[in-house]
Amino acid sequence: MSTTASLPASEPNSQTASLRRLTLVWFGVMFLLFPILVLLGLLMRTGQSNWLPQLSPEMFYAILTLHGLGMAGLWFVAVLAGLSWLMARYLKIGLLASRVCLVLTLVGVGLLIACTLFGRFGTGWYFLYPLPLHSAGVWPPWATGTFFVALALLVIGWLVWVLDLLRAIARRYPLRQALGWQYLRDHSGPEVPPMILITTVSLIAAVAGLVSGATAVGLFATEWLKQGFANDALLMKNLTLLFGHLVVNLTLYLGVAMLYELMPGYCGRPWKTKGYVVVSWNAVLLLVLLAYFHHLYMDFVQIRTFQVIGQVASYLTSVPAAVASIFGMLALAYGARVKWTIGSALLFLGVLGWTIGGIGAVIDSTIAANTRFHNTLWVPAHFHTYYLMGVVLMILGAVYHVCQDLSPLPERAGVARLTVALLCLGGYGFLLMFYLGGTYSVPRRYASYPPELAQGVTFARVAVVFILLFLSGLALYLWETGRRWRRAFAAR
Amino acid sequence: MSALRPTHTRLSGWLLAVAILLGAGGNLVCAQPATTDPRYLQPPEEARFLNHPVPDVRLLCQGRPELRLSEVWTKKPVLLTLVFTRCAGVCSPFLRSLKAAVAEVGGAGADYQVVVGSFDPRDHAADMAGTAHHLGLETDPGWTFAALSSDDAQHLAAAVGFWYRWDEGAQQFDHPAMLIAIDRGRVVRLLVGGAVSRVRLEEVVDQLNGKFVAAYPLPGKVAFRCFEYGRGGRLKISWGILILTLPGIVAGCLAWWIFRRPPSRRLHPDGQPAAQLIPAEENHLAG
Repeated sequence: MSTTASLPASEPNSQTASLRRLTLVWFGVMFLLFPILVLLGLLMRTGQSNWLPQLSPEMFYAILTLHGLGMAGLWFVAVLAGLSWLMARYLKIGLLASRVCLVLTLVGVGLLIACTLFGRFGTGWYFLYPLPLHSAGVWPPWATGTFFVALALLVIGWLVWVLDLLRAIARRYPLRQALGWQYLRDHSGPEVPPMILITTVSLIAAVAGLVSGATAVGLFATEWLKQGFANDALLMKNLTLLFGHLVVNLTLYLGVAMLYELMPGYCGRPWKTKGYVVVSWNAVLLLVLLAYFHHLYMDFVQIRTFQVIGQVASYLTSVPAAVASIFGMLALAYGARVKWTIGSALLFLGVLGWTIGGIGAVIDSTIAANTRFHNTLWVPAHFHTYYLMGVVLMILGAVYHVCQDLSPLPERAGVARLTVALLCLGGYGFLLMFYLGGTYSVPRRYASYPPELAQGVTFARVAVVFILLFLSGLALYLWETGRRWRRAFAAR
Repeated sequence: MSALRPTHTRLSGWLLAVAILLGAGGNLVCAQPATTDPRYLQPPEEARFLNHPVPDVRLLCQGRPELRLSEVWTKKPVLLTLVFTRCAGVCSPFLRSLKAAVAEVGGAGADYQVVVGSFDPRDHAADMAGTAHHLGLETDPGWTFAALSSDDAQHLAAAVGFWYRWDEGAQQFDHPAMLIAIDRGRVVRLLVGGAVSRVRLEEVVDQLNGKFVAAYPLPGKVAFRCFEYGRGGRLKISWGILILTLPGIVAGCLAWWIFRRPPSRRLHPDGQPAAQLIPAEENHLAG
């Protein structure tokens, strides 16, 4: 059994070296952008705590837009970068698509920064129709145009990379094998690592999400450029949320794919593909496309059948998560002599965050509960739980693992414990303030709170302290991982 | 030659895809308004005028003391339309369809007041009274026919998204046909089009009476609606749903296309053709 699951099976060659370098460049982008995006979050909570009166509502919403879109995009490409490296053990991974995506992502992010921080484009990440087209004088037309161009570049870049990774899988596995259907019969076919199965499912669904995003951007642009053309608001919201939900949800699943690949090495046990795993993840392919309806419960014009489908699909998608992955992870670790490092600890704690946030998500996807919670801080509470303390920790763990794998350094146990403790304490403390805000019906998306919502200010102030703790943990993480990254990057 | 065919097919596929993308981009770039002044010939965007205050204009009615529009809307909601009596186009059929719809829906004079105003400075109160007589509405208490001063007509038009311009060739005013629903001096709804349907008017009256109207079509050409609600809230599926299924269909087709490679062309990670897939002993997950 290999304990270095991230190393490609093939002999080191120039292709592998180029892939390693490209992966490290992606990680470098992540190291740079993540702290900036966390700082933007800190800025928003500071503004809500009345400690930063200079932060205007217009700027708050511009930051909200950049923070949301930036985080969603950053972790999507980060997980694709990590997976590309891990999958190179089984597949021949191309470099061109990743490079094209890197360039488009960097240009797209630059344009996003320009239109939000300089143009004050402030629709939120969800850019719900028709808000981008009606700035009410807050942002100029060039900011609207820049935003659409940025979004188009990002969607094209991600789509190219996703299709290329699917192509890499297809070069080795027929679709039925990549989806693990041989496990449903007599298992006469070849072994397919769970990572390949989950990645195949997630990437096919990701294509749907990205096509949806491209369609929405195209319709937005048509209305913006063509006088007299008007879109259907319901269609636009469906397309936008299908795009947004899939990008975020599939980032999570792709993070879980890395977990399946890496944790066996730390636990000293295999994590095999089995029939129930195959059934679960194949079901995800259909269910994940339907679960997004839970974002439209507030839209009374949406057909009621879709609302019911949204609730049922949301409940059912938790089965692969809970049964196949979370219990699988616990069974893998139970009684095993787990080798705890920053990498394995963050991977394991990521599952914990996914579980807690996932339960919150299932509650929120219940129509009866959603009508109460929808516009309160409960919503950012639960999605930050499975995102920040779920998939982000998983990806940070995987990135540490890869960097340590490529350039091993002795781990300092004290620093490792402190890093993990600060990330968890800061992260969960910050989340708790969101949950408490939700309990007090503090609304979300408020730049500042009126006197009637004074609890919101108090929770924001406490959250600021916890974010600073989280940032301290992140600084330690970046220092520890960065040392390995730098050495790996410098090595030929 | 046959060896080149797959490359050719692939190349043609890419070229076709690029052509489609360029075509779509070209459409976006070229999709500029055909008219020199886009303010005209376009229906007003309702969203821009909702809740806008309506100017309190003077209504010049024959045989009645001067009446202000606010005197009407303080008593009951108003359905306002702007016409001119010399119109050889839409005004007359529009008013007839409005009359028919109002008769079917009922409530005029009790639940709301219909005000027909003229924006043509040549029209006087007597001209509007003539129009009322022509329509057989001169004694109907639910209808008010009034001329407007030139200034009032301009202010009113600007506030509710109505426009009109003199066409020298036709010797007629060019203008849209629209009905403006006003509640307590503010725009509540715009109904745009050459005819007023009973269903649409019913929704407007319901809204003016404080009932919740779940959905209604916006003025102007809305592309790709998901659903439409007919009479009695009956749901009709429309083209938008097809677009909504498009991402899933495209993903399925692309996945099939990418994975349709014959077994002989499948590769090991080192780039060599795979005679068989990963041996169990090579796969660390196989235990």
